[in-house]
Amino acid sequence: MRGSYSDSDFYVAPSTPPPSRRPPITTVGPLGWAKQNLFSSVTNTLATLLTAVVVGALLWAFFSWAIRSAQWSVVFNNLRVIMAGFYNRDEIWRIQITAAILLFLSGLSIGIWGAITRGAFLGVVVTVAVILLVPLIGATIPEPSAYVLIEPERTPSNVTFLGQEGDEITFGVEPLTSPSDAGIPLGFIEQKSRTEWSTQSRAITSGELDPSNYNLVLSVRLLDAAEAPVSADGEPAQVSSTPDNPGGSQTVTLAKTGWYELEVTRDDEANDTNAGYAWLRIKGVELFSSAQDDQTARIDEYGPPPGGDRVLFAEEDAFRFEGTRTFAEFISLQVAPFFNKLALPAVIAALLFFNGWTIGHLGKREQPVRRLALIAWAISPVAIYLVLAGIPGSHFLPSVPPANWGGLLLTLLLTIVGIVASFPLGVALALGRRSDLPAIKWTCTLFIEMVRGVPLITILFMAKLIVPFFWSGLANIDLTVRMMIGVTLFSAAYVAENVRGGLQIIPKGQLEAARALGMNPMLTTTLIVLPQALRAVIPALVGQFISLFKDTSLVAVVGLFELVGIVDTIVSGQPIYRPYQREAYIFIAIIYFVISYAMSGVSYRLEASGAGSVRKMR
Amino acid sequence: MAETPSSEPIIVCRSVNKWFGNFHVLKDVELTVQPQEVVVIIGPSGSGKSTFIRCINRLEEHQEGTIIVDGIELSHDVRNIAAIRSEIGMVFQQFNLFPHLTVMQNVTLAPRYVRRQPRRVTDQVALQLLDRVGIPEQARKYPGQLSGGQQQRVAIARALAMQPKIMLFDEPTSALDPEMIKEVLDVMKELAQSGMTMLVVTHEMSFAREVADRIVFFDEGRIVEIGTPEHFFTNPQHERTKLFLSQIL
Repeated sequence: MRGSYSDSDFYVAPSTPPPSRRPPITTVGPLGWAKQNLFSSVTNTLATLLTAVVVGALLWAFFSWAIRSAQWSVVFNNLRVIMAGFYNRDEIWRIQITAAILLFLSGLSIGIWGAITRGAFLGVVVTVAVILLVPLIGATIPEPSAYVLIEPERTPSNVTFLGQEGDEITFGVEPLTSPSDAGIPLGFIEQKSRTEWSTQSRAITSGELDPSNYNLVLSVRLLDAAEAPVSADGEPAQVSSTPDNPGGSQTVTLAKTGWYELEVTRDDEANDTNAGYAWLRIKGVELFSSAQDDQTARIDEYGPPPGGDRVLFAEEDAFRFEGTRTFAEFISLQVAPFFNKLALPAVIAALLFFNGWTIGHLGKREQPVRRLALIAWAISPVAIYLVLAGIPGSHFLPSVPPANWGGLLLTLLLTIVGIVASFPLGVALALGRRSDLPAIKWTCTLFIEMVRGVPLITILFMAKLIVPFFWSGLANIDLTVRMMIGVTLFSAAYVAENVRGGLQIIPKGQLEAARALGMNPMLTTTLIVLPQALRAVIPALVGQFISLFKDTSLVAVVGLFELVGIVDTIVSGQPIYRPYQREAYIFIAIIYFVISYAMSGVSYRLEASGAGSVRKMR
Repeated sequence: MAETPSSEPIIVCRSVNKWFGNFHVLKDVELTVQPQEVVVIIGPSGSGKSTFIRCINRLEEHQEGTIIVDGIELSHDVRNIAAIRSEIGMVFQQFNLFPHLTVMQNVTLAPRYVRRQPRRVTDQVALQLLDRVGIPEQARKYPGQLSGGQQQRVAIARALAMQPKIMLFDEPTSALDPEMIKEVLDVMKELAQSGMTMLVVTHEMSFAREVADRIVFFDEGRIVEIGTPEHFFTNPQHERTKLFLSQIL
C-alpha cells in the first residue's frame, strides 16, 4: 500500500463518449489490402516487385509485338475455315442454324432453371457493345499510305481500288534520288517487290547503285470504272514526273462509289535508260481483306473490277505493313475488320439467347414450357446431326460427309460427344468395378487399366488403322466417328476412376441407413450414392473434361482438321500466311483458354449450388 | 405391457450365434419381445449389444439360430429381408442422414420410392412427423445446418415415416452434446408411451429406469440378466451385473 495518490491517478470519463473515427487510411481499402498482402514483409515486398517486373516485361514484350507488328489478318481472312474447316461453303448456314438452336435452347433453359448473375449479364452486354463499337471507331481512323515501288527492270502495275463517294484520296510520285531515301517508308508496301526492294535498298546504301542518276519519266492517271479519266477542278487528275521536274502529287475527292484505277505509264521512249526508282504513294485508299468470300462479296456489290491482266487490287495479301503501327492503326487495321465480321452474328446470338431467356423466365412455372424445353433438348442431338450431316439424296439438306467437318466445329463436336457419351459410360464402369460379381468387376477393371495404360494417341491410331484391320466392316465407318468413339472410350476410363474416388467417400452408415429403410441397391445407388459421389468429384470430372477438350487436338495427327489441324493447314498450305504462324496459333490458344476457363467456371458454380454450400459429411 | 400374454411375441430370437471371423460375438442369445414392449439393452462396450439389434433387421447376418420378426423368419430370401426391413425402423448413433437432401426429402425418400406413395401423401405425413419430433420449421434445411439433437430427431422421423411396427435404437444419444440428449430422449419417451415396440441400446440409465418394461444386460456376447427396471437396479442377481452397476451408478 503506497497510501498517497495524486489527482492524476484518478480519472472520470466525460459524460458523452467521443465520436467514432474512421480507421487509418493505410489499414483499409485497396491500400490496406496491398499493405497486408503484397508488402507485409521484406521478403514479400521483394517477391511482389520481382514478380511485377517479370510479368510486366513479358506482357510489354507481347503486347508491343501484338499491337505494333503482328499481322492478325491471317485470322480474320481465314475465319470461316478456322471455325468450320472444309465444310461446304454453300451449306455454312446449317452450322449457323445449329448454333442458333443451341443458343436459344440454352437461353430458354437458363431462364427456366437457372439464374443469370448480374456480372454475367453485364459481361455479355459490354462484349456486344464493344463488338459493335470497334468497327465504328476503326472507320474514323485514316488508313496509312500505300506504296508501290517503280523499278527500272519492271513494267509498273496499275492499282485498282474501291472508292466511296466523298472519299478524299491523294496519289503521287516520290522519286528516290539520294541514299537517305533508301529506307522503307511507314505504311503498306507492295509485297511482291519487297524482297527486290531490300536488295536494291542495300545496294543504294552501300554505294553500289547511285540513286542520283535519276532519269525517270512517269505519269499516273486516275480512271473510273468505265476507264474514263477522273477530273479534279476541271483538269484531269494526273501526276507527271520527269527528270527536270521530279515528283508531284494530286488530291481528288471522289464523286461516286465504285471501282477506280490508277493507271501508271512509264514513257520508255522518252529516254533510253529510264534509270531510277520512285515510290508511287496512295493515301486514303482502304485495303481489303483478301479472303475469297470478301472478294466475292465485293464483286457482287460493285461489279467486277476494271482493267486488264496487270490489275493489282488494293488487297491485304498484296501489301505488307512496314514500320511500327500506332494503337489507333492497330484498332483500325487489325481489330476493326475482325469485329466487323463478328458484329452481326454477335447481335443475332445475343438476341436469340435473351429471347430464349425471356420466354424461359416468363414460363418458369408453366408445365408445358418446361416439358417442351426438355423435349427439345432430348431431340436436339439427332436434329443437329441431321442438320450438320444432311440426308443423302436430299435436295434441301445435301449430305456433308463428316470428313469435311473441321475447325472449331469439329473440336466442339468431339468434345461434346466425348463428354456426353463418356460420362454415363464412366459411371457405369466405376459401379461395375465395385460390383460383387467378379465377371463384371474384372471386365471393368481390365478395360479401365488397359485404357489408362496407353496414351490417347495410341488409341486414336488404333481406331484409325488397327480396328478396320481386325474387322473390315468397321473400315466403312467414317474416320471422324471412329475418333469420337476413341476419345469417348479414353475419357470414360478416366471418368470411371474419378467417380470411383467419389464412391469411396460415402460413409458406410448412410448405406446402412438406406438398407434399414428398405431401399434396394438400385435405389440406394441412384438416390443416395451417386448424387453425393458425383458432386464430390465435380472438380476432378470437369478437369478431365477440360483435358478431353484439349486432347481433341491430337486427332490432327491422324488426319482430321480440327482447330490445330486446320491452322496447320492454313499456315503451311498458303504461302502468304506462312510468316504468320505465331498469330494463328495464339488465336487458337485464346479460343482454347476461353472455353476451358468457362468450363471450370461452371464447375465452381455447380459445386457451390444446392446442398453443396451447406453439406457436411458425417 | 409385458404382462399382456394374450398377443403373439413380435420378435423371437432362439440361440442366435454370430462370429466376426473367429471372434464369437453373439453366444446363444435368447430373447422374446412382446408387441408394444420397450426393451432396453445395456452392457459394456464390445459386449455385442449393437451387433445383436443389427441382426434383427439383418444389417448383420447371424450364422446360427433363428430370428423371427412378426412371424417372418430371417433367411437369405431377399423378399423376406425386404419385408422385415419395412416393418422395422432404425435409428443410428451417427444419425446417418443423407446430407445432400433436405430434411423433408430425407423423411419422404423411403415412402416415395420404396412404398411408392404419392408425393401429396408423403409430404403430409412428413410434416406431421416433423411436428411430432418438434422441428416442423426445419423442413427445408439441409442436415448440415441442424444441431446434433435436431438431426437425431429427423432420423427418428425418417424411420417413423415407413410406419414401422418396431423401432431399433442403436445408442441414439451417444454422439450428442449433453444439452441435446434430453430433447432426443423426450421424443423417445413419447414414442414409447404411444405404444411402439422398441429395442433400445443405450447408456442412459435414467431413461432405462423410467421407460423400459424390461432391461437386458449383455456381456461378452451373451445375455447375463433380464429383468424389470426395479428388479434390475435395486436387486441385481448376477455378479457381473452388480459389478457393472457399481461402476456406473
